[in-house]
Amino acid sequence: MKNRYSFRRTATVLIALALALSACATNNTANNTSNNAAANTGSGAAAAGDTKETAADDTAAAQGGELSYALATSPDSLDPHRSGLAVAVRVIRTIYDSLVVQLPDNSIKPWLATSWTVSEDGKSYTFKLREDVKFHDGTPFNAEAVKYNFDRILDSATKAANAAALLAPYQSSEVIDEYTVKLNLATPSRAFLGNLSQALLGIVSPTAAKKDGDQFGQHPVGTGPYKFVSWQENAEIKVARNESYAWAPEIVKNTGAPYLDGIAFKIVPEEATRIGSVQSGQVLAGETVPPQNIVALKSDPNFQLLSANTVGLPYTLFFNLERAPWNDAKARQAVKYAVDVDAIVKTLYLGTYDRAWSPLTPGTFGYDATLENSVKPDIEKANALLDELGWTKGADGIREKDGKKLTLQYVDATPNREKRNDIAVIIQQQLKAIGIAVNVEITKDVRTVVFTNGAYDLYGNSQVNSDPNALYAFYHTYDPKGRASLSRLSDPAIDKLLEQGLVEPDDTKRAEIYKEIQHYIVDQAIVLPIYVFPYTVAAAKSVEGIVFDSLGYPLFNDATVKP
Amino acid sequence: MREAITAKAVWRERGRRQLASLRFRRIAAADALLVLAGAVVLLIIACAIVPGWIAPYAPTEMLTDNILKPPSTDHLFGTDYFGRDIFSVVVHGSRDSLFIGFASVLIGGLAGGIIGAVSGYVGGIADTILMRCNDILMTIPGILLALAIAGALGPGMFNIVLAVAVASIPGYARVMRAQIISIKSRTFIAASSSMGASPMHIFWRHVLPNALSPLLVMATIGIGTSILTGSGLSFLGLGLLREVPDWGTLLSQGRGYLTVAWWMCTFPGLAITLFVLAVNIIGDRLRDDMDPKKRRVRG
Repeated sequence: MKNRYSFRRTATVLIALALALSACATNNTANNTSNNAAANTGSGAAAAGDTKETAADDTAAAQGGELSYALATSPDSLDPHRSGLAVAVRVIRTIYDSLVVQLPDNSIKPWLATSWTVSEDGKSYTFKLREDVKFHDGTPFNAEAVKYNFDRILDSATKAANAAALLAPYQSSEVIDEYTVKLNLATPSRAFLGNLSQALLGIVSPTAAKKDGDQFGQHPVGTGPYKFVSWQENAEIKVARNESYAWAPEIVKNTGAPYLDGIAFKIVPEEATRIGSVQSGQVLAGETVPPQNIVALKSDPNFQLLSANTVGLPYTLFFNLERAPWNDAKARQAVKYAVDVDAIVKTLYLGTYDRAWSPLTPGTFGYDATLENSVKPDIEKANALLDELGWTKGADGIREKDGKKLTLQYVDATPNREKRNDIAVIIQQQLKAIGIAVNVEITKDVRTVVFTNGAYDLYGNSQVNSDPNALYAFYHTYDPKGRASLSRLSDPAIDKLLEQGLVEPDDTKRAEIYKEIQHYIVDQAIVLPIYVFPYTVAAAKSVEGIVFDSLGYPLFNDATVKP
Repeated sequence: MREAITAKAVWRERGRRQLASLRFRRIAAADALLVLAGAVVLLIIACAIVPGWIAPYAPTEMLTDNILKPPSTDHLFGTDYFGRDIFSVVVHGSRDSLFIGFASVLIGGLAGGIIGAVSGYVGGIADTILMRCNDILMTIPGILLALAIAGALGPGMFNIVLAVAVASIPGYARVMRAQIISIKSRTFIAASSSMGASPMHIFWRHVLPNALSPLLVMATIGIGTSILTGSGLSFLGLGLLREVPDWGTLLSQGRGYLTVAWWMCTFPGLAITLFVLAVNIIGDRLRDDMDPKKRRVRG
């Protein structure tokens, strides 16, 4: 008897489960346009925003109000020197200021530093600092604070991640007087000022950083337009207006304290829920809009879509140049001619992402626009190149040579960020047409598979960066004792160019150097550039004044919420 | 030995009666449902065996000019964001989904059955050890266990099968053990034993054949569960990215497009629902027919 009942129960549960599974899908047939379904299934985080919203509505006019802003993932830390995630930078940028700011035309302007001089040899920078700046905790901002900050990044006890890479080749600081500081570099670097403008080199309060130690990332204190209020793990981060703020950079209009009372960053990882929360009014803005929703939002009169192309390295597929047969330029070129990047961008991103042509993105200093439209898919050429190398098609349509199949190990990470796994699916089909068997490996452990073992023929990556020197880490011969570069390229001529690019004082000559490097990389098919990632924000029409910095991060100094 | 032969005859006779009951009593009455369920299962199995005869397009064919098209006469289930014909992909995807279902039930049922049989028949310390291990496995919900195993082993067809199989072992082991113990205490076993039959002989000839039927019913229903668990795992991205996606992967791919292209999730979801439902209906009926108590009530 007992068995019989448990069977029935199992069966009932199963049917219920099956129905629930399909219900997810069928419900939406009706809600195709209203989008309620996505919003209603939303997480607690989004629902919690409702009550706060109404509270904010009471304070009328442009001044005041709270902006709720849905983030795609949770920041790892709000300590700029320790954080390694782009999503953290969206919050970090509101709490901290940098010494200088980079404008979209790549020029460097004052921020916390009023002026600076560079020594003849390019190895020391002397900054005059603003004298009216105070941290949120009342600590005065001065030369000592700057010295403390950069020495903190250098200190191995801090375990600085990306910040340490950005600060290189910084060596030491000298406090000249209360508001003058001299930074010494080991070698000249043309990327240094641009790097200083990045949020990860933002200035933290020395008092708070000393007091909180490792916990500083949970209690951040800076000089920025917003003060940190609270952080609920995986739910919400709140910041409030810094009333005494008066040192905004040139990139925003409002030089004083921000108009908003505060910003509530909600963490809503699920794409459909995030966009649904914006559409249902649970949050006022949400970041990283999937392409299919961009198309729909653009035609919706109640919402606006803000977008800024990120700069640095586009999403690029790197060949591992140490693995045969892809160490042969002809084999790589065959792949280059067989992969139809336009088709990928058109189908997966519905034309909302720009196709990348070069290892650098447009907007980065030295970007070579002549590379645009330089590659056209050409299956015959691709086949001819492989024939030339002696790979002949076998019975199953896959090429062989000396009894070995022509395979390509394509590694990508899970979860499927920006539909990158789907790119793998398409390339697998496109390369099958010229007789290459693509083995797609989706792994959670990219660190081991790619960086430690180097077990890939093709692996994609991108990097947001303010300077073309970003290429150095990817294409310069790597230190055999250190971490291998993604391309594992080792070409003395390119090494020399990359080293020159880093120090060349003349802008025109410097741009020429980077153009030469880009041409080489594209001609030799070291990589396949795929798309330029646009940072997108879906917002209610009542939100105004969100602008983007030169790297594509949002700034909220000018932002207002109309009641 | 004569007793043994008689028992065999009884068993055979019972089987004949079961078949007969299936043949005459069932089909006559309200069993359009069973027929329908059988048809669905057969159709989906046919899809898995000869997808090429049923699907109008190759599952990997990407019609890049026809992306995200709603269902039409050209594309019965519409097209997805690659421009693939969803009907064809669902038909081809049945092979992997069904393979996960059947293979994991086979492995899980076999392993669980052996553990339960040993535990129940040998008894004593072996029973204690095996059942305590089983209890530990049982404390973890099946789907969670499968998730943990698939996560640890990494993506891969075989790993998914293994994950789903291991997660189903405790259930089979429990049922098998209970069944064996109850049969072990029957008088015909005692009689057989008193006539001098060896324990192995009694096990193979009398205990096992009589204990199998609940396990078979459970396995039938288990196929549905396994397909569901397997689809769940691939939905969560723990499957392998294969050229031809299985149903779970299809659901996962369509998830982001729910608001703009409902057909991407609906049809693979329906395929899972229909198959699991049909298998359950068949399993349910099988159980009724194999349950002597129930038969007496109805007869």
